[in-house]
Amino acid sequence: MSDFIRANLPYLLAGISVGGQYALIAIGYTMVYGILRLINFAHGDIFTVAAFVMVYMNATMPLYISLPLTAAVTVALGFAVERVAYKPLRTAPRMSIMISAIGVSYLLQNLMWYITGGLAKQYPTIPWISSSVTIYTATTKMVTLVTPVLTLLLVILLVQLINHTKIGMAMRAVSKDFETSKLMGIRINQVISVTFIIGSFLAAVGSMLYFSNYTAVTPVSGAMPGLKAFVAAVFGGIGSIPGAVIGAFIIGICENIIKALGLTTFSDAFTFALLIIILIFKPSGLFGEAIYEKV
Amino acid sequence: MKKTRITLIVLFTLCALALIIFSLSVKDSLPGLLDRMDAEQTATQDDKMLKARDRVLESIREGDRSKILRNLERYTSGWADRLDLNGEIGLELFFFRNGPSLTALGLFLLAAAVAMALSVLDRKGRFRKAAPPLMLIAAVYTGVYILENVVGSDSMLMTVLEKGAIFALIAVSMNLLNGFTGLFSLGQAGFMLIGAYTYAIFTIETGTRPQVYQYYAGGLVQFTLPALVSIGLAGLAAAFFAFLIGLPVLRLKSDYLAIATLGFAEIIRAVFQYDGLGPITNGSNLLRKFATYDTVLFPFVIAGVCIALIALIINSTYGRSFKAIRDDEIAAEAMGINLFRHKQMAFVISSFFAGIGGALLAMYQTTVQAAAFTSAMTYEILLIVVIGGMGSVTGSVIASFLFVAASEWWLRFLDNEQMIGSFQVPLLRSGFRMVVFSVVIMAVVLFYRKGIMGDRELSIKRLTSRLSLRKGGLKNG
Repeated sequence: MSDFIRANLPYLLAGISVGGQYALIAIGYTMVYGILRLINFAHGDIFTVAAFVMVYMNATMPLYISLPLTAAVTVALGFAVERVAYKPLRTAPRMSIMISAIGVSYLLQNLMWYITGGLAKQYPTIPWISSSVTIYTATTKMVTLVTPVLTLLLVILLVQLINHTKIGMAMRAVSKDFETSKLMGIRINQVISVTFIIGSFLAAVGSMLYFSNYTAVTPVSGAMPGLKAFVAAVFGGIGSIPGAVIGAFIIGICENIIKALGLTTFSDAFTFALLIIILIFKPSGLFGEAIYEKV
Repeated sequence: MKKTRITLIVLFTLCALALIIFSLSVKDSLPGLLDRMDAEQTATQDDKMLKARDRVLESIREGDRSKILRNLERYTSGWADRLDLNGEIGLELFFFRNGPSLTALGLFLLAAAVAMALSVLDRKGRFRKAAPPLMLIAAVYTGVYILENVVGSDSMLMTVLEKGAIFALIAVSMNLLNGFTGLFSLGQAGFMLIGAYTYAIFTIETGTRPQVYQYYAGGLVQFTLPALVSIGLAGLAAAFFAFLIGLPVLRLKSDYLAIATLGFAEIIRAVFQYDGLGPITNGSNLLRKFATYDTVLFPFVIAGVCIALIALIINSTYGRSFKAIRDDEIAAEAMGINLFRHKQMAFVISSFFAGIGGALLAMYQTTVQAAAFTSAMTYEILLIVVIGGMGSVTGSVIASFLFVAASEWWLRFLDNEQMIGSFQVPLLRSGFRMVVFSVVIMAVVLFYRKGIMGDRELSIKRLTSRLSLRKGGLKNG
């Protein structure tokens, strides 16, 4: 038994840690979808941009400035993307907005490629978080332990914000019925902006945690975690925050179990297979509301 | 009106016949031409000159046209002062150099004359409607053929045309799904991957297989099929996978469909890189040394035929059903259209042609690797479709050529640092091209949402009537 635990504990820990990081990205997807009914394809790239901002900030300033500044820049980017690329298309068909999101993703990737010259950049080590720690014979980084705790803390804060503040109430109203809440005097644009700000902030935090596990960042290294976080959001029922978090943890853990079995090639494919199975048997996800079409 | 037309027909026919006969007659006359060229100056010939002349003659015996032309060019330009290159000899030389192009031009003129004659005789006017677009297509193909002979197949222009034709086919196949049937599918890269791999696996020569599959003991497939058969198989393989994938996926709606097809493309990519399938797919190593084409016309003809087939499908009863589904699913179902069956049909047909496009892409690249068929590739094709106009075949075709030309050629200069005098132009360095390019695309997506063509097709009649309108407007103003 102890051998079994010794062999598999590192994978389980990694799964929980990655799951937490996916959760932070997935919240951004699920909130935007809940309100705009838009798959924000650019969210994964915003997550990567956050990593590069961190790399460049950290080169010139101390950590206690660069960390909050990175979050601020990422938030500003998320806000700007919404204002420039999604707001003008509010009355357009949904396909147009989705295409615009794909266009933004393409633009951000090319922009990152241009600025970095296509080279991998070394991600800075954040003290304490990057230090090693040993839990029952499994050596891992501190970030593995910090991530789930921090994730849960942020999620609880977010749920409080949504359930008990005025802006949270507005968000719930808008996600329930866009048109009616507009008629009720809710400032739709403000609500949407706040949604993007929260999503981008969580993506920035997720990016700091995620890339602490890796040595380098490239312009495409955020694409896969972005897609997986999206799968997590669908798995949990898109539009539902607890659903996204639980989905992310399940995907993170399953993925690492598959790696433990020696099938690393299929760890990505598994995630998508899971997505397709979920979509076929329960398209609304674990916690999502079923959508009925009115004629 | 009729008189001028008949004059034109006669004129065209005469020109065409002259071109064809003359260009064919000079085909084998080069040795005699060489004699006439230097007939008067045999006394002053030196050794070097004789050697160059012998090389031309030798390459004529070998029969490799590009080699003949190269040696001939060296000979005539090296000793231009001693050779008689003017007058009749010069004309014959010109005809010899551009022989195939001029024959093609002649054939095109002949076809144009025949078409005009038909439209004069044709009283019902059926042919008159179809003639201009057909002539335009024939003109494009003749133009491509002549260009290839004039500028050579290695030039940037030809590369752009090749890749543009291949992307046109893939974009039209995606447009059939996204623009005409209203299914937002993002799986195109996956089906291209299946097509490219099927093609490559079946056309690697048996002798080189041990080299290509060096980690998998020469691979499992030990036979080679002809290129055209393999292209057909590539399409069929993609269509078969589409059929299987479509069974569960096509029941999903809009964004769920998008993400599920995207997921399937990723799964396909992972499976093809799986080590266990190595004897067939060569694992994550690239496939190479398979049959490729040697003229630009090959992708043009294949892509052209496929696009024509798609256009025929779109104009058929099925195509009208697809459009009905796109415009209103529920109304279409109420009209008696079997939703699932038609969606499946659109999905399978689109994937079939995406598979053929993938095979052509493999031929263009000369190597294939599964890792390259990412979702970014699908996004690029989707952007082409959007730029051309969702629901316009000609729009997709025009947009593909523009997209490829802009990204590979016209914007190249943005990637190089440039100096104006002593002033270094800021921002210009590797990668800037793609940034500018994606900004342009975003501008199209945001402000020019209908794309180049909207959901209309390119029509010569509308173009000419607009031109004449503009002329009329000028007169009035």
